[in-house]
Amino acid sequence: MKIRFWGVRGSIPAPGPDTNRYGGNTSCVSVTTDAGGLVIIDMGTGLMHLGNHLMAGAFGKGEGRAAILLSHTHWDHIQGLGFFAPVFVAGNAFTVYGPGGSPQVLEEILEGQMDPNFSPLQTLKNFSATFDVQAVRCGAPFEAAGLRITAREHAHGSTTALAFRIEEGDKAFVYASDVGQPEPGAPPSPDAIAFYRGADVLLHDTTYKPADQAKRRNRGFSTFEDAAAAAVAARVKRLVTFHYDQDYSDDDVDALVASCRATLDASGGADVELVPAREGDELAI
Amino acid sequence: MKVRFWGVRGSIPVPGRATNRYGGNTSCVEVRPRNAAPIIIDAGTGLRRLGKSLMEEAFGDGRGRASILISHTHWDHVQGLPFFSPLYRAGNQVDIFARQRDLHLEAVFSAQNRSPYFPVPLSAMEAEMRFHELIEGTRFEIGHATVSCTRLNHPWIAMAYRIDVDGAAVVYCADTAPFTDVLFGKEFLHKAPSLDEPLPPAVAAELARMRAGVVGLARNADLLIYDTQFTKEEYRRFPHWGHSHPDDAIAIARDAGAKRLCLFHHAPMRSDDDNDRILAQYREVVRAQEDRFELVSAYEGLEITLGDE
Repeated sequence: MKIRFWGVRGSIPAPGPDTNRYGGNTSCVSVTTDAGGLVIIDMGTGLMHLGNHLMAGAFGKGEGRAAILLSHTHWDHIQGLGFFAPVFVAGNAFTVYGPGGSPQVLEEILEGQMDPNFSPLQTLKNFSATFDVQAVRCGAPFEAAGLRITAREHAHGSTTALAFRIEEGDKAFVYASDVGQPEPGAPPSPDAIAFYRGADVLLHDTTYKPADQAKRRNRGFSTFEDAAAAAVAARVKRLVTFHYDQDYSDDDVDALVASCRATLDASGGADVELVPAREGDELAI
Repeated sequence: MKVRFWGVRGSIPVPGRATNRYGGNTSCVEVRPRNAAPIIIDAGTGLRRLGKSLMEEAFGDGRGRASILISHTHWDHVQGLPFFSPLYRAGNQVDIFARQRDLHLEAVFSAQNRSPYFPVPLSAMEAEMRFHELIEGTRFEIGHATVSCTRLNHPWIAMAYRIDVDGAAVVYCADTAPFTDVLFGKEFLHKAPSLDEPLPPAVAAELARMRAGVVGLARNADLLIYDTQFTKEEYRRFPHWGHSHPDDAIAIARDAGAKRLCLFHHAPMRSDDDNDRILAQYREVVRAQEDRFELVSAYEGLEITLGDE
């Protein structure tokens, strides 16, 4: 499978010359299978650019199919949906798998973004494509786009978010963004480590440098130290840094990545390859 | 007064190399009367950086005062508010003004800040926030500034504002469609209506009244900031989206006798080079028509001083 980053930023898009290299769009990652299947993870503003890219192919002709995995429904993970061109082409079909416990609840949450006070679209029903909403059952693997997918719920501040383990044959990609730590520096939970275990690629929340995490009131995010600890404990092959703080410049992210490398090297993770997520980059497993 | 642009983009923020010069943040303009608290127009993502800058002033000590005029509550005009640092400091006071809606204004803004969309509810933000509902034609004072407003032609209705202070006037008209083809209300328009058939007389009359209101609001303004999301060609394809184009903005500026016209609310996919080309093209048009106003195009960081220094 091929993984591509369309948005790697947390909380709110961060335009400006100082975010050109890593990118300023909020969370969106695509996974393309060898058989041509498409899974989209999260619908931040990066989704608009993925959509424009997809319109050149089957989605432009109303023949596109994709599964969308939704970690949670904070704005930075759904705000690209109204600007995703393929949903305005009849014939395309999408199935969203996300939190909420029931499809009705999740659909109502997604409808909230289209409320006419906020959006000229007024309702999801104005999409031309088929847009099916499913609630994920954690721990129960399901199949989408020919991939085997398992979800796990983790703490995200005062709420929760979903991590996804995506498997094709014996290859595994784990997406774990917006991972909150109950206490700064607390070790990752054994359940989380079991879920990440042996992944070819672990994409993990690295919103903060540790000193900045301490200054924030919200405990909904991880530092690069948290991510490195999870990667080492789960013996993953590659660790992807992701969901950078909106105030971090490219130079700040460079420093975060270098510190993460040093942390891995000093904690038994010298053999873990470190890949910083950058908008537009592609990673093959 | 000083007028400073913090977000000039329409629809959705667009980070990236193609928008470095004009900027990728959504709508936010700061009006700073001489020796007075800021009057902010719209709360798009540009508001985040403005908030950081304000924290260097009295807002950092919890002694700040600001007013925010909201044109309408579409995402690109409100999505910066949860990230406005002064709201997280006790003692600061922020007055928010917007047109009356079906839901009370505070309920609309609370919806943006609630679970499962955002972790901090409005009620947990430490600053004092007061919500003021307006209807078109309302005129009120903020410090020594006078604010007036009129209705624009946009889905679910937007408001234009005029601020008179320090011997000058700035007028903000976003978002609006031209007043010639579609009368926007609450219906969702699935596709573009025909632009070649005559309008029913009642609709034409309502649009003419609305246009007269805008021209009246902008009368002799020193600076008119106008929604020019589209080119004229794009407008003909998307007249049902509620945005205007430079030809229409120029006609309004001319009729109003405005002294300077500022193109604003740039389309998300418009690159810096596109914006340069549009500005150059319409500067030619303005020159050829012997219009008396200066044409500028809004970019993040643009600051314009009006009236008394």
